[in-house]
Amino acid sequence: MPVRETSVSRRRLIQGALAGVLLVGGALAVTFRTRDYAAATGRRLLVLAGWQWVVLRHAASRITAPDATAGATAASADDLDVAGFVDGWLSRMDTRVARDFGRFLAYLEQIAPLGCGLLSRFSQLGPAEQDRVLASLESSRSELLRAGFEGLKALVFMGYYRHPRTWSVLAYDGPFVGRPEGGWR
Amino acid sequence: VSGAFLRGRDLEPSSLELSVDAVVVGTGAGGSIALRELARAGLDVVAFEEGALLTSRDFDQREDHMFEQLYQDGGGRATHDMAIRVLQGRGVGGSTVHNTNLCKRPADALLELWARQYGVEGAGPNDLRPAFEAIERDLSVSEIEPAMRNANNDVLRAGCEALGWQGGPLKHNRVGCTQSGFCELGCTYDAKQNALKVVLPQAVQAGARIYSDVEIVSIAHDGQRAAGVRGIVRGADGKPRGSVEVRARVVVLAASAVGSAALARRSGLPDPHGRLGRGLRLHPGGIVAARFDREIVGWRGIPQSYECTELLSHEPGSDKRVWIVPAFAHPIGAAATIPGFGAGHMAAMRSYKNLAVLTAMVHDETSGEVTVGPDDRPVIRYSMLESDRRQLALGLVACARLLLAAGARHVTIPAIPPVHVSSASELEALDVSALRPHSVPLTAVHPMGTMAMGEDPKVSVVRSTGEHHQVRGLFVADGSLFPTSLGGPPQIGIYGFALHLSPRMVERARAG
Repeated sequence: MPVRETSVSRRRLIQGALAGVLLVGGALAVTFRTRDYAAATGRRLLVLAGWQWVVLRHAASRITAPDATAGATAASADDLDVAGFVDGWLSRMDTRVARDFGRFLAYLEQIAPLGCGLLSRFSQLGPAEQDRVLASLESSRSELLRAGFEGLKALVFMGYYRHPRTWSVLAYDGPFVGRPEGGWR
Repeated sequence: VSGAFLRGRDLEPSSLELSVDAVVVGTGAGGSIALRELARAGLDVVAFEEGALLTSRDFDQREDHMFEQLYQDGGGRATHDMAIRVLQGRGVGGSTVHNTNLCKRPADALLELWARQYGVEGAGPNDLRPAFEAIERDLSVSEIEPAMRNANNDVLRAGCEALGWQGGPLKHNRVGCTQSGFCELGCTYDAKQNALKVVLPQAVQAGARIYSDVEIVSIAHDGQRAAGVRGIVRGADGKPRGSVEVRARVVVLAASAVGSAALARRSGLPDPHGRLGRGLRLHPGGIVAARFDREIVGWRGIPQSYECTELLSHEPGSDKRVWIVPAFAHPIGAAATIPGFGAGHMAAMRSYKNLAVLTAMVHDETSGEVTVGPDDRPVIRYSMLESDRRQLALGLVACARLLLAAGARHVTIPAIPPVHVSSASELEALDVSALRPHSVPLTAVHPMGTMAMGEDPKVSVVRSTGEHHQVRGLFVADGSLFPTSLGGPPQIGIYGFALHLSPRMVERARAG
């Protein structure tokens, strides 16, 4: 049986080496794929982590991207502080909502691009690639991912279309309560 | 005892210990009536409401403000699999504060079915008529005049007439309506004759006390008799700031088919036949949007004033179980529903003023369940039966047909992928098998049936009197009572049944 023992030992050695490589590779991937977030935040957040804030801003920017008619004149998600609104909204909801939302953002940032053949994390992709990733979630075969996308979209649009500056696109004249004399702008 | 509205967030001291004749959990349609009738009988009665006490001055017509305050989970409540959004009210007045004021009595055929098939006694059409009539008087129910019909509703009328389909005006409980169109965000003008405006003030006048910001977390009982409730007082920030302990001979559950069932399950009520929380119906509905050449401006005016009943029968076994009504949303709701994102989405939103929107609501046979999660929150399980799925598809296609018949240029069913049609012939060729939950965004606003009434404890949770089969003094007075789906707006049914059952509650509270 010595031959057998040697064989097992080799297999273990190979397995150990592979595990080590995976561990080191994973640690490097985590390090590289999660750095540079904190510096980009630049504000005090209520619920979202720094990296979640960054991912949300990128997603909101694409979800509310203007059409050709609006062009550069449309208010952007950043102009209207959509991510800040979502952070505030989540802080007033049950903690489960923020937890689930955070998990979805993690998937969007780290995993979803891979499904589209893109190695970079979502927040480092160009606009067209980000749109590809978001579209893949919207039409995903996974019911959970589709629901996650719909939740993200609903929150982003709440942060965007709550603002009177966006209402002219819709020809929506807005609430009567508090309406300024010249109408909402 | 003098009646009062009391805000839990302002209570000093912040904890309460009370001993009363009766306690009501929830202040919507059913709870308000039970409270009023108990108070009018001279009993010492209190009600607790999980949400805030808001008045017309608080309703600022802003979606981003009001959804958070008027709806459970800020409007984000959904079934466990996220397939159906479940919009439910919170706050004093419950869902009557944000509903669209539709007033229809439960169909006679349904009441007869409940007697025949579900063992409900003393609740036939003739038994309920006096209660429905009294409620309709209280709430000033009237038919919505054609002059008050907005363009979105008129599209439905035109579609019905063009196709020769059955349709007609709806009734509502508004007086002095300005037709601002913000009904789902609470009425700034106090035109809604609802629980908040009419019934709860009557209850307070009769001596009832109503506490907002108090979440009842358990029912005290020994398995045979109800003894009261325990709860948490919350501050304006939603954080606990005190506790409530109430001793009472009668406990009335009126916290909705989701809230009441979850509370009952958390409290470990006897459930020898496993019926508690089961039998959930939702009236799941999907929308169809259409672009017209002319302006519709669907956000303005009374949101729902006309119905199509061509595909709606309340006869058991019917293959027509779809109720069609208009369903226009304000910008945030519309943006969330229109398919896609980015430039294409904004281009579609530019048509907002030219859009008409209808919803097909299924008079469902699916039996869902309300359970309680590890965090004690309600969990809504609902897996749509294939027969209901077919009704949903039938209804969505019917909406598209109605919109085209009314002159729509382009119709969209917001499925994944979206379905776009411009002619009836394209509809004929449509593969409707894809129109199903998870593909079509669904919303439910009428949870029912989780503590159904009937004389047979094997198939019901409470007796025909509304009293629990095993726990004396515990009553149900909300949509949980209904053994089947209603196939229409439930508020008159809930108000009416609460009034019909209230003498039993009074009797029990007096007898002890």
